[in-house]
Amino acid sequence: MKNRRRLTEIFKSTVLIIGLIFVAIPFAWILLTAFKRPVDAASVPPVIFSPFTLDNFRALKSDEYIGSLINSVIITVLATTTTLFFGVPAGYAFARGKFKGRKFFGAFLLFSRMVPPVIYIIPLFLFFHKLNLIGTFSGLTLAYLTGLLPFTVWMSASYFQDIPTELEEAGRIDGCNRIQAFVLIALPLAMPGIISVGLLICIAAWSEYFIPMLLGGPTTSPATVGIVNFIGVDSINWGAMCAGALTLVIPVFILTLLAQRGLLSGLTAGAIKG
Amino acid sequence: MMQTSAVNKTSVKNRYTLSYIIDKYFLVFVSWPSMLIMLAVTAIPFIITIILSFTNYDLILEDWKFIGFNNFRELVKDPQLPKILSNTAYLVIGSTVLTTTFGLGLAVLMNSTVRGTRTIRSMYMLPIMTAPIVVAFTWRAMFNNDAGWINWILGLLHLPKPLWLGDPHLAMPAVLISDMWTGVAFQAILLLAGLMSVPIELKQAATTDGATNWQVFWHVTLPHIRPVLFVAILLRLIEAFRKFEGIQILTTGGPGIASTPLNLAIYDTGLYYDRVGYAASMGVLLIVIIALSVGLLFRFSPKQELGK
Repeated sequence: MKNRRRLTEIFKSTVLIIGLIFVAIPFAWILLTAFKRPVDAASVPPVIFSPFTLDNFRALKSDEYIGSLINSVIITVLATTTTLFFGVPAGYAFARGKFKGRKFFGAFLLFSRMVPPVIYIIPLFLFFHKLNLIGTFSGLTLAYLTGLLPFTVWMSASYFQDIPTELEEAGRIDGCNRIQAFVLIALPLAMPGIISVGLLICIAAWSEYFIPMLLGGPTTSPATVGIVNFIGVDSINWGAMCAGALTLVIPVFILTLLAQRGLLSGLTAGAIKG
Repeated sequence: MMQTSAVNKTSVKNRYTLSYIIDKYFLVFVSWPSMLIMLAVTAIPFIITIILSFTNYDLILEDWKFIGFNNFRELVKDPQLPKILSNTAYLVIGSTVLTTTFGLGLAVLMNSTVRGTRTIRSMYMLPIMTAPIVVAFTWRAMFNNDAGWINWILGLLHLPKPLWLGDPHLAMPAVLISDMWTGVAFQAILLLAGLMSVPIELKQAATTDGATNWQVFWHVTLPHIRPVLFVAILLRLIEAFRKFEGIQILTTGGPGIASTPLNLAIYDTGLYYDRVGYAASMGVLLIVIIALSVGLLFRFSPKQELGK
C-alpha cells in the first residue's frame, strides 16, 4: 500500500515535470538565442550555447524597433484607460439591473464575444480608410475596443454582482445620489476585481497583433508588428527577433509574478461564475 | 423597501432638478456610451459584412454592385472550400479536445499534489501571458527543418526528421502542437480553479463510503466542475475559430492551403487578394458555422448553465 502510494507520487511528479519542460523549452530557446552571436542563431545542427553577446539588442536599436516599443506603451495605455472608463460603469449598470436596452445589449455582448475579429476588421478597414483613421492612435484605440470592451463589461458586471446592494442602499438613505453611491461605495469595493480586469486587458492590448497589423501605420505600429520585420525575404534574423521577444515578454512576466492572484482571479472568474 | 420610499420622498420634491434626472437615468447614462461604441465598432461592421457578401466589392476596382447570391454560389463550388472547411474542423475539434483532455489531466495532478502547487501553477501561467506573435515565431523556429530543436532532438534519437511546416500532412499537426502549448496551460489553470472549488468534505464522505479514487472523480468531482468544464470548452472553441498568428506566422497557411482554416482564408481573400465581397460571404459562412457549433455545445450541456 505504501509502495503503491509512493509510485503514484513519483508518476504524478514525472508528468508535471514533463509538462513543465514542454512549457520551458520555447522560453529557453528565446533566452539563449537572444544572447547568441547572429552566426550561431540559425546554425545546423543547433548550437545550444554560444559566446555571450548583446549584438542582438544593438540590432534592435538600429532597426526602429525601439520606436515601435514606445508605440506599444502608448497604445496599451490608451486602450486600457479608454476601455475601463467606458466598460466599468456599463458593467455596473448590467449588474444593477433594469435600464432600457439591457436585454438587447446583453445578448449582443455574448454574441460579440463569439465573432472572430476578422469579421469586423474588413468593414473597419474600409471605414478607417474613408475617415483617415488608418495609422492613427485614436483609430487603433477604437479598433482595440472591439474585443476589450465586451470582455470588460462582462467581467466587471460579474464583480459588481458580488457586492451586496444593501451597502449602496444604506448610502442612499444617508443622502448619496446614485453617482456618489457608485463612485464612493460600489467602485472601491469592486476595485480588486477591476484591477485584475485592467491587468488582463492591459496584457491583451500589449500582445495584440492582428488589429495593428492591418490598421497601424509606420509611425504607430506597436512592437508586436515591428518584430515581424525581422522576417526577411529569404532569411530570418532570429537573434534580433528573440531579443525583441524578450522586450515584449519580460514586462508581462514580471507583472504576472507580481500580480499572480489578481490575474488568476480575472482569468478564472468568468468561468467559475459563468 | 424602506430605501425606495426614502428616495421617493426626496425625489417628489425635486422632480425636475438635475440630480433627480441623473438619479433616474443613471444606469442609462453609464451603460449607453459603452453600448454605442460597441454598436459602432462591432454591430455595424458585422451588418456591413453581411451586406458586402451580396456585392462584388473589390479593394482595387472602383465601382461595385449587388450581385445577389453569386458569391455564395461561387463559394459552394470553390474547389478550395472542402480543404478549408476540413482544416477548420480539424483545428477546432483537435484543439478543443486535446487541450481540454490534457488540461484536465494536468489540473487533477496539480490539485492532488500537496507540494509546490502554487509555483507550478504560476509556471503554467507564463505561456498564457506570452504574446501570440512570440509563440508563433518561436514554434516556427522549433519546427525548422535543420536548425530547429525538434528535428535536432529527433536526430539525436536517430528518428526520421520530417519537414513539418513544409509537409502538407504535418502542417496542421504542427499548428495543433503549438496551440497546445498555450491551450493546455489555459485549460489547466481554469479547470484547476474549478477543482479547488469542490468541497473536500464531499470527497471525504464518498471515500469513507468506500468509493475508489476513480469513482470519487467520476461521481463527485466531475459533476461538480461540469459548469466550469463547459465554459472552458466554450472559450477554447471560440479561441480556435479565431486563431490567426499561430497559423499566419507559423505556416502562412501552407504549404499551398494545407493549413488554411476559414478565418485565415477570409483574411487572405479580402485583404490580400482584395476580393472583399467574396471574403464577406466566407465570413457569413464562418458565423453560421460558429453559431451552429456553439448551439450544439449548449444542447449537450447540463440544463442549469443555460440561464447564465
